[in-house]
Amino acid sequence: MSIINTQGLSKHYGSVKALDALDLSLEAGEPIALIGPNGAGKTTLLSLLCGFIRPSAGAAQVLGENVGSRALSGKLSALPQDAHLDPRFSVQRQLGLFARLQGMKSSDAKREVQRVLDTVQLTDSASKKPGELSHGMRKRVSLAQALIGKPELILLDEPTAGIDPPNVKIIRDLVRNESKNATFIISSHNLDELEKLCGSVVYLSEGKLVEYGPIEATSDDGFLTVRLPSVPEEQFIRECRKLSGVLDVQRQAQGDYLIKQTEGHAVDQALLSLLAKNGWRYRHLIKGRSLEERLYG
Amino acid sequence: MPIFSIARNEFARLFFSRHGWLAIIALGLIWAVFLNYVIRPAAQYLSSPDLGIFLEAILGRIGSSALSNWQSTEMALYWVFALYLLPFFTMISAADQIASDKTRGTMRFLVLRASRTQIFLGRFIGQYCIQLLIILFTLLSVLALIAFNAPENISTALAEAPVVCANLALVLLPYVALMALVSVLSSSARQATLFAIVGWIVLWFLLGYVQGRFGPFPILDWVLPGSQLGSLVRLSGWDTLNLAPIPLLHTVVLLALGWFAMRRCDL
Repeated sequence: MSIINTQGLSKHYGSVKALDALDLSLEAGEPIALIGPNGAGKTTLLSLLCGFIRPSAGAAQVLGENVGSRALSGKLSALPQDAHLDPRFSVQRQLGLFARLQGMKSSDAKREVQRVLDTVQLTDSASKKPGELSHGMRKRVSLAQALIGKPELILLDEPTAGIDPPNVKIIRDLVRNESKNATFIISSHNLDELEKLCGSVVYLSEGKLVEYGPIEATSDDGFLTVRLPSVPEEQFIRECRKLSGVLDVQRQAQGDYLIKQTEGHAVDQALLSLLAKNGWRYRHLIKGRSLEERLYG
Repeated sequence: MPIFSIARNEFARLFFSRHGWLAIIALGLIWAVFLNYVIRPAAQYLSSPDLGIFLEAILGRIGSSALSNWQSTEMALYWVFALYLLPFFTMISAADQIASDKTRGTMRFLVLRASRTQIFLGRFIGQYCIQLLIILFTLLSVLALIAFNAPENISTALAEAPVVCANLALVLLPYVALMALVSVLSSSARQATLFAIVGWIVLWFLLGYVQGRFGPFPILDWVLPGSQLGSLVRLSGWDTLNLAPIPLLHTVVLLALGWFAMRRCDL
């Protein structure tokens, strides 16, 4: 089922084209990564889909409904970037209002607020005001509001930006669990994070669609990526190049090594043997390139 | 219905926040001072010729003639002062219908669940109901003052109270609508109040200039919110409702402009 359709969707700010005639069709299913450099149009696209801003041209449908349709209430939700709850009222009161606006009775709204706060592990903070919470907790509360009423489509704009690792893990686990019930579209600069969570990727640049497809591209069969935290770099590269089928070995950032191989060779097996023989520990081994390497390498 | 949930939430914004309680306490104190040091002594000594002249100096000919139209002096004073003071209070207290939520991004959470029209009208209705409460509060306090100071006038005052209440409710309507409009165009409540006051003054000067240079155009006398107040203050009894179409028309126009701005603004 198509969850998002855009036809020539554009947003201009004066002479700046934040989004330029975007034609896109996304299917329901695994989380979708929305990536691109700053100014690529990611937040603009999400804001247009949520109806926060009006397009300069083109049209978009979400879950088969025109953007802004009341039929989307309760089906579409979002964690907008830089959106904050009212600091004057408790988390519980504000989420309760959101639930009632989605058509729940007061008693159902209370139960739903408890459920979503439990999901983000913040039940104890229900009566607190947003100002009493840490940045990470506030982000989790904002995520909780996005889960009210079990929506079909959830748009997350930079959900883990500026958050400490424990909160990032909670959010990541939560998205992984909830993605069984809803389709997530996640905009982020953290490509490692997105690789762990998402099944497909939309890559925008300068307001245009560059690529849309599975996160593990089949064209990547000729590569292996291995993360080795502490090995003698030159020795590893030398030994690795001797393996049958290896065309090239390059050191990437963060202790990652990109191995270019001839297709058809089982280089991964030989590589594991090499690591075992030398007592070199590896963190992870990926068939193909990392998303970062594929897009920006 | 989202529109009523949003309207009801305006009361929560007033009664369940520190900021709201500070506003209530401030209004209560100001009104208590006003009641004790303006209305009570003025009503007591109005019969004195010297004070009668003094009051005429303060209120002008309009206020002076208005006082003679009402049987209860306290109610007459309340009528004159409330007509001019409550709109100013409305321009402050109803200023944050949209502005701060829009700037903070809270409006985005709401827009995902309710239409912009529902939010705009819900906030307007909620704020208007709060203004009605303020009218009732101030009116009841004056009635209490009369009951305490001049019990013989209370039946007359009670008979006049519905007229005063209905008129004040009509007078404040366009001011709440005006604040709904400027709140959409502003980034904070303070800015909204400033825009409303400055905009009102600029328009007043502009209309005066057009009238003087190219006029007279009688219709321009009724363009500004509150333009009927000069005529209204001279009337008494249910005759006052003859001017009701003016604030109603102002309200419809201001709400239409605000709704248009709300539908088009970026959140």
